[in-house]
Amino acid sequence: MRDDSGKWDAPLPSGYVHDANGMTLAAVTLARQVLISGPDVLTQTKQPIAGWPDIVTADSYALSVRRDRVLLVNGPTVSEGWHDDIGQAVSDASDAYAVFDVSGERSLEVLKRGAELNLDVPSRSVARLLFGLGVFLYRYEMENSFRIHVASAHAETLVKSLEGAIAAC
Amino acid sequence: MTSHRTTRVALIDRSKPLRFSFDGKEYQGYEGDTLASALLANGVRVMGRSFKYHRPRGPWGAWVDDPNAIMTVTLNGHSFPNCPATSTPLVEGMQARSVNAWPSAAFDIKSGLDLFHRWLSAGFYYKTFMWPNWHLFEPIIRKMAGLGDISRDVLEGYSADQVFDHCELLVIGGGAAGLAAARAAAEAGKGVVLVEDHPVLGGGLHQMAEVEGLAPADWIAEQVNAITSAGGRILTATTAFGVYDHGLVGLAENGPFGTAPRLHRMRADRIVLATGALDRPITFAGNDRPGVMAMDGACEYLARYGVLVGRKIALVSNNSLADAAEVLLAEAGAQVLRLPPHDGPMQALGGKRIKGIAQGAKRHDVDTILASGGMTPLVHLWRHAGGKLNWCETRQAFLPGAAPDGMVAVGAVNGAFDLDVSLSEARAAGNGKSPDLSPTSYALTPLWPDPGSKGRQWIDFQHDVTLKDVELAARENYVSVEHLKRYTTLGMASDQGKTSNMAGLAAMAAVQGRPLPEVGTTTFRPPFVPVPLEMYHGHHGKQLWHPLKRLALEPQHRAAGAALGEYGGWLRPGWYGKGEAKQLIHQEVLTARGSAGIFDASPLGTIEVMGPDAETFVNFIYYNTIRTLKPGHIRYGFMLTEGGIVLDDGVITRLDQNRFVISCSSSHVDSVRTHLEAWRQDGNNPDRIFVHDQTQHWATVTIAGPKAREILAALALDVDLSAKAFPHMTLQETHFEETPMRIARVSFTGDLSYELSVRCAKAPALWEAVVKAGQALGAAPIGIEALSILRAEKGYIMVGKDTDGETMPHDLGFGVPRLNKSSAFIGDRSLHCDKANATNRKTLVGLAVPTGAPPLTTGAHLVDGTPPRSQGYVTSSYESPTLDRPVALGLVENGAARIGETVSVWHLGDIREATICAPCAFDPEGERLHA
Repeated sequence: MRDDSGKWDAPLPSGYVHDANGMTLAAVTLARQVLISGPDVLTQTKQPIAGWPDIVTADSYALSVRRDRVLLVNGPTVSEGWHDDIGQAVSDASDAYAVFDVSGERSLEVLKRGAELNLDVPSRSVARLLFGLGVFLYRYEMENSFRIHVASAHAETLVKSLEGAIAAC
Repeated sequence: MTSHRTTRVALIDRSKPLRFSFDGKEYQGYEGDTLASALLANGVRVMGRSFKYHRPRGPWGAWVDDPNAIMTVTLNGHSFPNCPATSTPLVEGMQARSVNAWPSAAFDIKSGLDLFHRWLSAGFYYKTFMWPNWHLFEPIIRKMAGLGDISRDVLEGYSADQVFDHCELLVIGGGAAGLAAARAAAEAGKGVVLVEDHPVLGGGLHQMAEVEGLAPADWIAEQVNAITSAGGRILTATTAFGVYDHGLVGLAENGPFGTAPRLHRMRADRIVLATGALDRPITFAGNDRPGVMAMDGACEYLARYGVLVGRKIALVSNNSLADAAEVLLAEAGAQVLRLPPHDGPMQALGGKRIKGIAQGAKRHDVDTILASGGMTPLVHLWRHAGGKLNWCETRQAFLPGAAPDGMVAVGAVNGAFDLDVSLSEARAAGNGKSPDLSPTSYALTPLWPDPGSKGRQWIDFQHDVTLKDVELAARENYVSVEHLKRYTTLGMASDQGKTSNMAGLAAMAAVQGRPLPEVGTTTFRPPFVPVPLEMYHGHHGKQLWHPLKRLALEPQHRAAGAALGEYGGWLRPGWYGKGEAKQLIHQEVLTARGSAGIFDASPLGTIEVMGPDAETFVNFIYYNTIRTLKPGHIRYGFMLTEGGIVLDDGVITRLDQNRFVISCSSSHVDSVRTHLEAWRQDGNNPDRIFVHDQTQHWATVTIAGPKAREILAALALDVDLSAKAFPHMTLQETHFEETPMRIARVSFTGDLSYELSVRCAKAPALWEAVVKAGQALGAAPIGIEALSILRAEKGYIMVGKDTDGETMPHDLGFGVPRLNKSSAFIGDRSLHCDKANATNRKTLVGLAVPTGAPPLTTGAHLVDGTPPRSQGYVTSSYESPTLDRPVALGLVENGAARIGETVSVWHLGDIREATICAPCAFDPEGERLHA
């Protein structure tokens, strides 16, 4: 029983941006994130589905998380619950994941501080362990721009790890 | 001076002199020197003291094979202990001090210990310090033992960068074989990374006059150019210190002195091992004296640093590599005397400096003895990877045998001591072929320790293990090499067997009369060389050491003056306000009982289970019957392990026919999710059940207390809050600021309570609204500490605190659900075993203390008999502000049947009395709960 408030940095401000060493780490606000699971979800999803190391260019897209699950990003509103007609479980996860973009010429080197990444080894899933945290990682719009979805309660941890990695690069 | 700098062209930059000191005396070296080479150039031979006997020690080798010259180096005010002088680059202003010596290595006051060596043999302290008590002697022994002292300074910024990397082919070793293999592979289009632990490539090539018709430096430059031109990468000053699973190699890339190495976690598809071989010592009397050095080490000092280690040198070697060494040393100006080691027992003469060497009746006046008992291939990394070793009778050495997946050994590590053979097999390996053992011109006469021979003969220089120690270990039946190692400390610490292993094994083989390969080797483990712990530590420090989950409402809690702390992996408010914590917490309890406490319950699990088989699944997962739960209703229940042990408790809500929400304990969310996923895929159809962990999407604000309904009503939500319309253990769905809201009427305090859940983005607005509404009615935010008291007053448990690794649900008073359950569930079978139904199981009880007595100590044991036997222990204990007396919960043998019994409670020698009572001390009829 003790007061450890001073040992922890204050939570991230809204609109967080960090520029250093020619790289930018910035919080991203998305309209919607929806977790959809189902045995055929990968073939049923209408949005383009991203794996690793795909570059996403669409505004609305789906992340392949595992063989029976996608995270629909900026998709249409879908009612939550079990959809018996199409065999899908749907949950709004808009606030479950904090989202950040890491961009800059050496952004891959930054991320290699936290995970074994290889652009030559593709994966159908964007799920990774980055700095020990479960994340969804893919490229967004550019070759050197990476987007990361992390459990929102771990946002501060991911940012602090990335800031350290940027400083080391 | 015996050792001195020559004019030979070397790898140092003579235009850049560097000043440094050793044991308080000033010296000068050059850029490119190591501490050891600079000291040798200044004629310094004694650079350290041995571990046990404090005998003077000079360098044996010229690189990582040296076990003797270990120093504490201070630079820019910061001290770094245990720096190997042979591999520490010289830097301007370095202040080096020998470890394990005072006042200096040259004159060490503890050297008198050597006079008592007859009584200090291996294992002496195991036998000597048993009476009256080991702990009596332990402090002084520990003070005397060890090498170096850790600086108490905190070195800010000493942080290791850690990088994950990948390559098609990793070549370890930048000597002739490594360079040739890397070039061949790079030119064949492979993605090659070559690592070399020296700052300069070339390995032993610098000792040679030419390589394939070129000067060594030109040949090396040509290979480097070819490798980099083909896209290969070269990392110098980088040591491959360990090989781990699936081709993962740990690389320590050294930067400037005083900075932490960078750790590369290199995943390689293939590995070419070109780590070379080391000279092994010859075991003869006085072979530990300063001035007895490795033949190859002496050649390296000359080739790399221009340092000739002696003027009159006895070259004692049993192998053909001595011929080239003799020429090299003689050309540099040394008088070299070749002594065949088989011509009779030898003895080094002299103390801190060599005066000569005696062999039989002959005495030779020399100032340096160079020894080579044959080459020992550096197979450490090969063994880390699981490769086998074969004994080579021709080379008298263990060589790489059956290869681990994706690894091949080339060059000297593979027994190819001839340059042309080495290059040939390296190029083949670079092109993907695995070389066989090639014929060799290398010849040697076996030369191993001779048990029973006269004189003190050192096997392990660093730990003062002598031949007699090995003989003693064998007499005491420590005949396994692993036991020998631990009994004598042979091959431990920074040496890791590099110089001592073969001599030790051979001595043990000779003592037992067994062939050396039959004795085998000890286990090779990473790291190959000492590396700072900081390198493994990396960025995991301070807030990243054990990062906590952060609440969406943390800014609101901070603004309200919350004392934040770790509770179940989350940074949560323990209490609010400034002042004496206990008083603040008690006030929060009274507020919650008098009006209402407002509480951030967001970490509680929100795990949705959906699908056509969801009902069957949760009914199987839970100890309680869930099948009968109606939509909009909530049930309290347990999840068990297969062993019937309580894994978690919490409530489950049915939203509709195919959708459930599991609200598990805050600290168990990850384990419960894993538990659900595991069972979903085992024995169930995973296409008909889906588990979504929604915990971090939702934030939950709880209002608990007699005025909870009035506070909730003030939010003007579209919900009928009457007890009849909204009874205990039901759920209503509505909207808050146009977003979905769930209101669960459940309680963890024993009072009327509502849990309001909205998406995190709306949590601040909800919190502000609830606090504002609550303030008007005397309610206020409360922290975890107050909640813990409130729930203990009611007798509600916390799994993991009020349960242990043996607690089953019936131990907590929940025996009925299993009697009513008609279908199988996890843990069912285990609840029927004898142990599960024994009468002496520890069950949950309350514990009351006499009037006026203070609270019991959590963890205190309930005891009986003489000597005292534990019957159980106190799991939770608090001063209850509500009841104005202590309350406690405990797990006690057969406790439920002993209500009213007085028991003794023992804690740190004090014994107190307590009375076993029912766990619930507050509102046992539940009138407030169902209000």
